[in-house]
Amino acid sequence: MLTLFKAQSIITMNPSMPRASAVLVRDDMILEVGEPEHMQPWLEDQEYTVDEQFADKIICPGFIDPHLHPSMAAVLLPMEFITAMRWKLPWGDIEPVTTAEAFDDRMQALNQAKAPGEPLFIWGYHQLWHGRMGKTRLHQVSEKRPIIVWHRSFHELYMNDAAMSMAGIDPAQIRPGMQIDIEQGHFFEVGLGFAINRLNPWILAPERYATGLQRLKQVVHHGGHTSIGDLATGLFNFDTEAQALAEQLEGDDVPFRTRLVVHGTRLTQGGRKPEEGPAMAEALLSHNSHRLSFARHIKLFSDGAFFSQLAQMQEPGYIDGHHGEWLAAPEELERHIRAYWQAGYQIHVHVTGDLGLELTLDILQKMQDEKPRFNHGFTFEHFGFSTPEQIRRIKALGAQVSANVYYLHELSDSYAKSGIGYERASQMARIGSCFAAGINTTIHSDFTMAPAEPLNSMWVAVTRQNHAGDVMGSTERLTQQQALEAITINAAHTIGLADITGSLRAGKRADFTVLNQDPLTCDPSTLRDIEIAATVFEGRVFPIE
Amino acid sequence: MSTGSASSRIKPITLIGGYLGAGKTTLINRLLSQPEVPAGTAVLVNDFGDINVDESLIRSDSHNGTIIGLSNGCICCSISDDLSQALDQLNTLPIAQVILETSGVAEPARVWQHCHYPGFSPKAIVAVVDAANYHQRSQDKYVGPLVKSQTAQADLLVVSKIELNSCFQLDSLTPQLTNRDTKLFETILGWQRNGAQGAYESSAPLLPIFSAQTWYQDSPISRDSIEASLTALDSSVQRIKGWIETEAGVMQVDKVGSSLSIKPLKHHTKPRVLGLVFIFHVDPNTDSQNNPLTGWALAKTAS
Repeated sequence: MLTLFKAQSIITMNPSMPRASAVLVRDDMILEVGEPEHMQPWLEDQEYTVDEQFADKIICPGFIDPHLHPSMAAVLLPMEFITAMRWKLPWGDIEPVTTAEAFDDRMQALNQAKAPGEPLFIWGYHQLWHGRMGKTRLHQVSEKRPIIVWHRSFHELYMNDAAMSMAGIDPAQIRPGMQIDIEQGHFFEVGLGFAINRLNPWILAPERYATGLQRLKQVVHHGGHTSIGDLATGLFNFDTEAQALAEQLEGDDVPFRTRLVVHGTRLTQGGRKPEEGPAMAEALLSHNSHRLSFARHIKLFSDGAFFSQLAQMQEPGYIDGHHGEWLAAPEELERHIRAYWQAGYQIHVHVTGDLGLELTLDILQKMQDEKPRFNHGFTFEHFGFSTPEQIRRIKALGAQVSANVYYLHELSDSYAKSGIGYERASQMARIGSCFAAGINTTIHSDFTMAPAEPLNSMWVAVTRQNHAGDVMGSTERLTQQQALEAITINAAHTIGLADITGSLRAGKRADFTVLNQDPLTCDPSTLRDIEIAATVFEGRVFPIE
Repeated sequence: MSTGSASSRIKPITLIGGYLGAGKTTLINRLLSQPEVPAGTAVLVNDFGDINVDESLIRSDSHNGTIIGLSNGCICCSISDDLSQALDQLNTLPIAQVILETSGVAEPARVWQHCHYPGFSPKAIVAVVDAANYHQRSQDKYVGPLVKSQTAQADLLVVSKIELNSCFQLDSLTPQLTNRDTKLFETILGWQRNGAQGAYESSAPLLPIFSAQTWYQDSPISRDSIEASLTALDSSVQRIKGWIETEAGVMQVDKVGSSLSIKPLKHHTKPRVLGLVFIFHVDPNTDSQNNPLTGWALAKTAS
C-alpha cells in the first residue's frame, strides 16, 4: 500500500533537491520525494491513497537529538518542575518562575493539588532567582506533607521534617561539618548522596521509573523527534537500564528509534581492561531490536560538569582561581580511546572546557599518528568552551562536533559575570565557526540539562540570545538552514543513522516532523514557538495535540 | 533503611591520595598484608580490578560484588563512583577504621570534606608521591595543577619509587616518609591531622598516634647550636627533615632514628621555605597535645 503525502512545502535536507511538495511512501520507506506528476510511474498498477492532512503544513525530516539521557530523565520527569526558564512539556508548559514569591506560590498550589500524604518532589530551584531555600520555607507550605526540593543542577536538595522522617533520616546523626545543614534541611555533595540513598525507595521505585520512561516517551514525541541518541547507556546499572528501555521504548506505540551508545568506562568497570571493551561492546549488538540499537560507537569522558563550573579551562582559567576537574586521568582516557580507535569504533568524548578539548585533541592527534583513519566520526560532545585554533584542529583531524548550545542561553550571562568573563562566555558553543570550517556539527539537549525541544535549540543557535535577552557572540549565529541541518542530517551522521534517516530522499525511512510554519523562512525569533502538528515515524502518523 | 546500628562509634577515615600510577594501590596491597593492620580495617578502593589481594587471604563465600572479606578480619570494598553508597554499606558492618583510596584525579581536600559523613570522620590525608615522575608531572599542562594540589593538601607524604630516583627532593615541609622507613605502615595508620582527633573521640585509639610539627626558621642560626638542640630531643621524635640557614650556608637536615645528618645543600637553588618538620609518636594514654617539641629550645624562638 502506497501513501502520497502532500504538503504546503517539504524541506528535504537533500542538497540536490532542497524543496518538494509531495513524498510517496511504501510502508516505512520513502519511494520518491518531489512533485506528484513525476510520481505516476510508481502509482500505475498499484493501490495508493493520497493523504492531504498536511496539505497546509511544512514537512521536515524527522528531528534528531543525538545526545540525551533517557535513564536520567526517567528519574526526573515524575517530579514537579518549578524553573526559571521555560520548559514545554507534553502535560503543560512550565512558565518561568523567577522570584521567591512566585516559587512559594507555585509550591503551595502543587501542595493543594496533591493527594494528602503523597510526597511532593520538586525540581528546578535556583537561588539566583528563587532566593534562599530552607526548611522553614518548606514548612510554610506544609509541615505534614513530605516536600523535597531539588536544585536545578541536581547537586543539592532541601527537605522538610516530614520528608526526613519519611526517608528515615535522624537529625541526631548529623554533626556539624558534614555536607548537610540539618537546620535548613539542606543536603549537598556527599550529603546529597546520603539523602538520595534514603530517598531511593521513592525515586527508583520500579513503577515510578516506568512512569518516568513513559513521560520521556511523550517528551521525545512532543519535541518532534523521530530518532534520539542515548549517549551513556549503562549510566546507572546496565542490566536494569537495558531491560527498562526494552520494555518502554520498544513497541508499535513508540514513535522514535534510539541509538544506544555505551558508557565506555562503566562497561569495563570491575576489573576489566579497557582493551577488552571493544569485544564486550561488540557482544551488545546481538541485543539490537527494531527501535533500540547499539552500533560501533562508544562514549568516554574528559572533563567535569559544565553546570558546576568544573570544565577544565586553559589560561586564564576561572576568575576566582578555582580549577575544573578531570573525570578520568588523561592517561586513562588515552588508553580507552586507543582501545576503541584501534578497533575501528566511532568515539564520542564528553568535553566541556577548552583544556578538556585540548587534551582530547592531543590524544586524537596521537591516534592519527599511530593509526591514521578516515571518516572515523570522532565526536566532541557538549563543546562548551573552545578556541578558534581548536576549530582548525578539529577540522584537520577529521572530527565532528555535537554541541549543547543551550548552555549559551542559560549560563552565558552568569558565567560572564561570575565565571570566566564576558569574552569567553559570549563565545561558548562556537558553532558558527564549525560550520564555516566545514565540520559536521549538530546540537543536542543533553536532556535533562536542556529542554528536549530541537526547535528551542535551533532558536538558541540562530539568535544566540541568552536568558537576559542579550545576543552573545553574534558572529557565531547559525543561519536557519544550518540550524535545521544541525537537528536533522548532521545529527544523523553523528549517531550513525544517516543511511536511514536525517533527510528525505528515496530509500530512507519515512520519518517526518510536521510543522505549522516554515522554519527556514519564519522570523528567527519565532522559531521556538512553531507548533508541531505531528511526527511520522517509519510511515506511521503520530499526531501531537 | 540501615542507619548504622552495627556500630555507633565514629569511624576514622585515612585517605590515600596521589596521582594515577604514583603507587597508591601498591601501597594498599602491601598494607593489607601487614601483620599490624588491625582486624576491622576496611579498605575502600576505586575498583577491585587493580587490587591484588592474595587469594589465600580472601575468605571464600565472602565476595558479594562490592565487598571482599579477608581472613585477617579486614574487608575490601569498591566505591564504584559513589562514596555515599559505599559508606552507608560499611556502616552496617562491624568495622573500626577505614582506609580510602582516592581516585587518581581527585583533590584530596575535596574528598576530605566528603568524609564528614554520618558515622565517619576524616583522620588524615596521606599522599603518595612518585619519585620517578613527580617533577615532570607537576609541570604537565593538563595535570600539573592537580598533582601539585594533591601534595599540597596532604598531611603526610609517602615517596614511592625512590629506588628509581634516589636523589629525589620535594621542596616542601610536609612530613615525608619513603618505603625505606621502618614503621611506614604503622605511621600511615596512626597518622592524625592536627585538630582532627576531636571528631571521633568516642573511638578508642587503635594504634599509637603519629603526628608532625613544622618549625619555620626566620633568622640564621649556628650549625653547632642546631645540632646540639636536635640531639637533645626526646626519643619519641622519629624523623626530622628540612633545610636551615646557618653561618656556613643552607644545610639539609635529616634525622632517621638516632642518626642525624646536617650537610650543605648541594642544590644551587635555595628552598622556598626554610625550617624543619618533626615526625613524632604520641602516647595515646597521655594528653595528645603534649608533644616532645613543647620544651625544645628553638621552639621558643619560633614566631
